[in-house]
Amino acid sequence: MPAEKAITITVNGTERELSVEPRKLLVHAIREDLDLTGTHIGCDTGNCGACTVVKDGEAIKSCLQFAVQADGSEVTTVEGMADLPDAGEDLHPIQEGFKEEHGLQCGFCTPGMIMTGKALLDRNPAPTDEEIREGISGNLCRCTGYHNIVDAIQYASAELGDAEAATDGGRPRDPGGEAE
Amino acid sequence: MKAAQFEHHEPTTVDEAVGLLDSLDEPTILAGGQSLVPMMRFRLARPSTIVDLNSIDALDYLREEDGHLRIGALCRHVDVLESDTIADRYGAFADAAPLIADPQIRNRGTVVGSVAQSDPKGDWGTVVLAHDGEVIAQGPDGERSIPAEEFFLLPYDNALEESELATEIRVPVPDENEGSAYEKLKRKVGDYAMVGAAARLRVDNGTIADAGLALTAVDITNTRVAAAEEALEGETPTPERFKEAGEIAADHSNPETDEHGSADYKRNMVRVLSQRALSNALERAGGT
Repeated sequence: MPAEKAITITVNGTERELSVEPRKLLVHAIREDLDLTGTHIGCDTGNCGACTVVKDGEAIKSCLQFAVQADGSEVTTVEGMADLPDAGEDLHPIQEGFKEEHGLQCGFCTPGMIMTGKALLDRNPAPTDEEIREGISGNLCRCTGYHNIVDAIQYASAELGDAEAATDGGRPRDPGGEAE
Repeated sequence: MKAAQFEHHEPTTVDEAVGLLDSLDEPTILAGGQSLVPMMRFRLARPSTIVDLNSIDALDYLREEDGHLRIGALCRHVDVLESDTIADRYGAFADAAPLIADPQIRNRGTVVGSVAQSDPKGDWGTVVLAHDGEVIAQGPDGERSIPAEEFFLLPYDNALEESELATEIRVPVPDENEGSAYEKLKRKVGDYAMVGAAARLRVDNGTIADAGLALTAVDITNTRVAAAEEALEGETPTPERFKEAGEIAADHSNPETDEHGSADYKRNMVRVLSQRALSNALERAGGT
């Protein structure tokens, strides 16, 4: 029987030491060993994107990687969003966007959508609707029809852009985003 | 379902990796893992030992060198998608990259891994075939080059030996008057190709000096259509010629009827996509 491996992952800013079987998927380590059940398991096949987390700045599906492969990496899950430097008092602007724009119904896909949205906005702070649609194409939602999810991410893009403009002393952008 | 137990090896150099492949019992190589990990968790694959390449930093590259584009075994799909070199000169690569899986999977999956996986529905094998590429393999006896044309043997089977590691894909740097393109038909994001076609043309003084045409998902491997290439070479690039080449490609394809379409439909799509890829390649070769 292969021995467990000792790994260290910085999750939401906190260094966590774990001992895992090599076969344990990252998503299982996050949910079961670290008790961070905000990261969901939707499909078990790598299709649905509900298990998306941000690892070393990139959105990845945590069901398509073993936990041992995350040794030494930095992972952000949905639980860490509200503590990020650009978060508001209670929520991160992306989370707020889902609330304000009705970006969820059952909420199952939401953690994955939020993390994919975060990685997208980190790379492209002012995406077009088309770029958002392409960006979330690896995340399935079975209730909203995606329209409000795109609006939610646009909301966050505008909020984050305003915050940036305010610190730069520049002019705030129109927060309404592009109409479809 | 959980994957079966396995031992996890993390070499940090190619030599170390090849040493492990040579000494371990039936080792399986893990690169991006976007096909292998789900196969393992469904126990379609049950490797007892994994040689994980992700700590071999020297394999993470995409560059032009000595007349070739060289893609290392840890170059991810997203690296191709975001490369200026690719965007400028390698049309078929630039066309294929955004059509592979989805953004999260493109962040992890690798080009070389996809070729080594040798799924006949994979896109990169077709692109590499049309570009006259080769697979570089490192084994206990050193390095060898396998022409893409001799690489693919059966679905999920290729010319690599058990103890060999595919370290690099190499394709010749195209001439100024050369262009390539890839066309892919699929139902939705994340799907493999129902049909795919890659074309490459070099046009000298209004004549096709060199042609490449290869197909995805319509045979037991990614396949090059030599008969269509021969029909094009030495000819003037006209829509009629491309139509003829598309018909030859359709005749040489062996698609199977499945839930996505009948064999006849797919053969027709081979004809159409081959023509489209050829016209796009011609435009990029500067011949419009």
